[in-house]
Amino acid sequence: MHRDRGTVRRVPTGLILGVVLVALAFLVRALSPSFAGWGLPDRAQDTVTLALSVIIESAPFVFLGILLSTVVQVWLPHGFLTRFLPRQPLLRRASISLLGMFFPVCECGNVPLARGFMVGGFTVPESITFLLAAPILNPITIITTHQAFGFDNGILVTRIVAGFVIANVIGWLYSRHPDPDSLLTPDFAASCARPEQNGHDHDHPHPHGDGRMQKSVDLFARETAVIMPALFVGSLLAALTQVFVPRSVLLALGSNPVWSVLAMMALAFIVAVCSNVDAFFVLSFGSTFMPGGIAAFLTFGAMIDVKMLALMRTTFTTRTLVQITALVALMSAAAGLLVNYVG
Amino acid sequence: MSADARLGNPNQHTENRTRRRSPGWSGRLAERWRGIGLSLVVVVATVWLGVTGQLGLYIHPRYFGFTLVMAALGLIFVVASFVVPSPATAQSRSPRRNTFALGGSAVLLVVAALAVLVVPPATLTSATATQREVNSGGLDTAAAADQAATLVGTGDYERLSVKEWVSLLAQSDDPALYTDKTARVTGFVLPDSDDPENVFYVARFVVTCCAVDAQPIGLPVYQPGWSTSYSTDDWVEVTGHFAANPSATSKDTLAVQPSTIEAVEQPSDPYVY
Repeated sequence: MHRDRGTVRRVPTGLILGVVLVALAFLVRALSPSFAGWGLPDRAQDTVTLALSVIIESAPFVFLGILLSTVVQVWLPHGFLTRFLPRQPLLRRASISLLGMFFPVCECGNVPLARGFMVGGFTVPESITFLLAAPILNPITIITTHQAFGFDNGILVTRIVAGFVIANVIGWLYSRHPDPDSLLTPDFAASCARPEQNGHDHDHPHPHGDGRMQKSVDLFARETAVIMPALFVGSLLAALTQVFVPRSVLLALGSNPVWSVLAMMALAFIVAVCSNVDAFFVLSFGSTFMPGGIAAFLTFGAMIDVKMLALMRTTFTTRTLVQITALVALMSAAAGLLVNYVG
Repeated sequence: MSADARLGNPNQHTENRTRRRSPGWSGRLAERWRGIGLSLVVVVATVWLGVTGQLGLYIHPRYFGFTLVMAALGLIFVVASFVVPSPATAQSRSPRRNTFALGGSAVLLVVAALAVLVVPPATLTSATATQREVNSGGLDTAAAADQAATLVGTGDYERLSVKEWVSLLAQSDDPALYTDKTARVTGFVLPDSDDPENVFYVARFVVTCCAVDAQPIGLPVYQPGWSTSYSTDDWVEVTGHFAANPSATSKDTLAVQPSTIEAVEQPSDPYVY
């Protein structure tokens, strides 16, 4: 490999190659509609359309998450974030669950960001707390939920409180885990353990200028290599469930206090809408479903759905994800039932 | 080199270097270009849809700005990753996994490029609509009915869209309110699952975030034997007046009795918001 030699000569070649490939992609896209009559069967066509809509909707948030993660790992001084956090573990996780206020990137963008936090010194339970809390406890989600529901039926308050409580309870449970690193996939655990890869070499100050740019671009390449395939697979799964599971089955259950909660959680799981906007989506079901169902949708769906699981699988083991999903589902259902029976 | 560590034989390092370069190289290639390739495909598709005004086929207009800005940033990073040399660090993996990684990445990239860059952009079809009960959600009926009421005030009923009629009907389906009113609406043909031979919906999808949450809404049209002239998913403009629905099995109490049904082109903006 002649990577080390001829860096100066490589620059223009790389630029030309990059631009040519981008132009080629545009050309393929611009010319392909003229091959009309691909004649995909309706269901296949709709699967592509639905998957693509999730990808186009989520990819900007993924990019934003990666960019913020890059800022945290490469451009902020090491330990900048942890410096301001309390040391007492409970208070520390409580503060971390509010970090979403400064990083309103939606749940898909939170995955690269949480990875960045772990590389940057957060413990595993702390990152899980962030991952679960940030989609709900962020300004955009709170504003859109308020726009959609106001303070009606305690939906907004339930969402905020349940989001905070669930994230902290799960963070606390995992903080008692004897070996938190075993919750991570081996690949990710390894990249956390390698100091030279994470841009925070303690012995050396930050590289400047070109070094940081190179690290940022490299981080973009590495994070997209992990997250983008998961996004594609997750979106495809979401699309397939949409095409093959009749939604009317779920909607028939809306007026029962228990079933409305479970049906809305199932809907949240398969629809996989971003937490920043799910309030508008679920608003249209407000007449069909009891408020507890809506609250459960807004709580559970923000933390867990079919696309999120694919994204989180890049970082956590399947076993961990099953546990987290079960815990979030139980607590969200409890919150929803509370609204239906007490509220 | 990572492979050496796995094999636990550091002495072979130098001799075996040439032999092991190939799998290491393929793994590194996969690691380096999988994400960039997929990102390239997505940002190019997004920018192209934005430029040609077709982004609305996938996402709600309120996200156009954010999506295009992030796509532009993504494009910069994609091009930059060709310019900036990659560092020498590689993932520690066995040669076999490296080959898998490269093969898997290549397949994923080709499939993604086909789906995203080659398949023509399309609106959702009735296949999805039939999975989601018509008029079962998707509309903030109160707000839409307010809009409709404003138009009703002008007395110009033919300007009401599918969405506005549906929200009016959701508020009240008292026949007295609708008998003398003429509707002229455009939508795609969606058979009524309860009486597919006599009744079809002039349907549209309502989108609140992106196409994945689309909910079908529609006005029932009573026209026995409609399927001889039109097929499901055809775009039509239906003109007619409301009357009690003669269908014995349809759930809608009112239906449009069409005076004309014309085939039309799919509108450039097929969804309603």
